[in-house]
Amino acid sequence: MGKSINSLSQSELVYAIKSNDPNVLKFFYTENYTKIESLILKNSGSIEYAKDIYQDAFITVWTHIKNDKFVPKNDTALQGYLYKIAKNKWMDVLRSKSFKNLKSLNYETLVYIKDEKDENIDLKNNKLKIAMLAFKNLGQPCKKLLSTFYFDKKSIKDIASELKIEETTARNKKYRCMEKLRALVLASK
Amino acid sequence: MNDNSDISQELLEIIERYINGSMTSQELKDFNQLLELDNEFKVKVEDIKTMLLGIEAQSLKEQLDILHKDIPKTIVKKPVDKKVKYLNFSKIAAAAAVIIAIGSIWFFSTPKNEKLYANHFKPDPGLPTTMSSTNNYDFYDAMVKYKHGDYNIAIDKWKILSEQKPENDTLNYFLGVAYMANKNTSEAIPFLERSVEAPDEFVFLNEAYYYLGLAYLKEGNVELAKKNLSLSETDASKLVLSKLTK
Repeated sequence: MGKSINSLSQSELVYAIKSNDPNVLKFFYTENYTKIESLILKNSGSIEYAKDIYQDAFITVWTHIKNDKFVPKNDTALQGYLYKIAKNKWMDVLRSKSFKNLKSLNYETLVYIKDEKDENIDLKNNKLKIAMLAFKNLGQPCKKLLSTFYFDKKSIKDIASELKIEETTARNKKYRCMEKLRALVLASK
Repeated sequence: MNDNSDISQELLEIIERYINGSMTSQELKDFNQLLELDNEFKVKVEDIKTMLLGIEAQSLKEQLDILHKDIPKTIVKKPVDKKVKYLNFSKIAAAAAVIIAIGSIWFFSTPKNEKLYANHFKPDPGLPTTMSSTNNYDFYDAMVKYKHGDYNIAIDKWKILSEQKPENDTLNYFLGVAYMANKNTSEAIPFLERSVEAPDEFVFLNEAYYYLGLAYLKEGNVELAKKNLSLSETDASKLVLSKLTK
């Protein structure tokens, strides 16, 4: 990257996040956390919940960027967007019946509240959750291979040379991993 | 998602190329046509797209905890600061306690050595200053000052001579003794150490060991004090040694 991360324009930031640039992701993640943490701490939350809600919001924002749901309008649009989503997520927790009935929050109730909310989530989002869960439970070698290819965006050629196998073998491995993943997704439908 | 949908490796790679936008314009045209005609195929493509996004999203999610460690701790800074302050305070308190402990050991233990030193230290009477030898005029000039108790002047003068003759045992001995008389035992020790390295016929060897022993006694190094005192054959040395080993 020629520029320092701080001077990236919003569209550059969006582009870098779309391509999973590790430096930009790290910057974007670490830069925005404290604001959201203090919001949640001031509103009956704890550091644990702050982290949980923030990571949720972060994945949501990332997904929206990937799906072109987010178009930046000003210089801090993306940062503001992340804040807004995290805030809404926390408000959902605070407003939920389960939370109101509780005297104190613990991790189990937070997960429960989130699941309660998830029932109303649109079908597409639900499909993504299923895919994520399936990938989470995939065997480690397949996970590594698919993650390196789809997330780190490494070429099959590089992956093959790293694993010391033929390129065609690597492609076939990748295909079989995808089939496994598809089977897991279908099974959880 | 279609349960009986087998996708060949070739088809999967074509769909992937469609998703990541690396198709040629002709390919894309054909592909879009197929999507319009075959609704089932369209669903299949959508599902694969979701799956690929799921791989990426989950990969990212699993990296967030690592990213989280790099967040600068600004929010929790206040309580941490307080803690640090308390910590520092207790450290200071601990340090103070140690200093007091050491100080009291010094305070209660040194008087014995100090007393012994004070009782026994008398400056060397010095050499008779007849000034017969013009060669040694500077040396005896300083000796006069020494005998008058002008130790600073004596030391300054002898030091000039010492720079010319650093191996002169007599000079080293009197410099050491002058420093001791001037209540500067730490400066005295190196000169006395050099003077005791003199050959056995050195006239002040016993005295040099005696004063060196006293100097170490004053500095609190009882072991070295004993060692040097025992090397001296003077009565004064034996007396101090007997009191030390008592």
